[in-house]
Amino acid sequence: MTLTLHGVDHTARPTWKLAETIHFYRDILGLPLVHAVTAKGWGREDEQHADFIHFFFDSGNESSIAFFCYIGTRQPENLKPPRGYMAMGNHTAWRVESESDLLAWQEKLEAQGVKVSQFITHEIIESIYFRDPNGYPLEITRPLRDMGALDATDAAHTIEAALALEATGKWTSIEQLWRKKAERIQQHQAA
Amino acid sequence: MAGFYVLDVPEFRPLLEAARRHPACQVHPLAAGYTFVEFATAIEITRAATGLPPALWFGCLTAGLDGKITEFTEETLRLAPTNEPILP
Repeated sequence: MTLTLHGVDHTARPTWKLAETIHFYRDILGLPLVHAVTAKGWGREDEQHADFIHFFFDSGNESSIAFFCYIGTRQPENLKPPRGYMAMGNHTAWRVESESDLLAWQEKLEAQGVKVSQFITHEIIESIYFRDPNGYPLEITRPLRDMGALDATDAAHTIEAALALEATGKWTSIEQLWRKKAERIQQHQAA
Repeated sequence: MAGFYVLDVPEFRPLLEAARRHPACQVHPLAAGYTFVEFATAIEITRAATGLPPALWFGCLTAGLDGKITEFTEETLRLAPTNEPILP
């Protein structure tokens, strides 16, 4: 039996800025608030659990972005989103269907005082980037083309080359990866 | 035989077109989804010649490099043949 996933239902993260979060997602982004759970916190043997609200905004295509508000708690230092590009690697990217939609989102966000990155064209998508009031990185993107079988083949070659280099403990650069991958592609073409 | 590979996808075709116009590059026939661009001596390719946006430019060797990078800035890429090992 092949198990299949059917897209994103929701992603969730904690917030200690309830009012700002509601304002940003509901009023600035305009995502409908569609569900809210409220619950008495429960205790486990090794952990007390705060009372909480778990609320959801509709982000389209039957997906949502959700938050937990743990009542009466303070944000632990290790849950503060770090600054810098490495922390941007942890982000949510929403899809829009056209360049004009993407530009319209950029204008809408900037008009509301949200700092938005430059429009960036990547291999198969183009995107804008920004952060929510909690500091969580967000992206809005549009596909430039569909992914094909060749993309998957190429991805497999990239990852196999990377795994081989990682296993040496000496891997330090993308140039090393590109050279290792070339060895694989040469064999791939000869096969 | 030094060179670099280009994946047969639309976003990297401008790189291939720049290689075809480059006097020191020999473009091999497409095989198994990749085109090999051979160079016998050191070469320089400019981003302007490819028209690639920066994010793509900095990934333009993603399909593989048989050679070494001697310079890679936002505007210029210099490559050369090498016999050096991949890892130190």
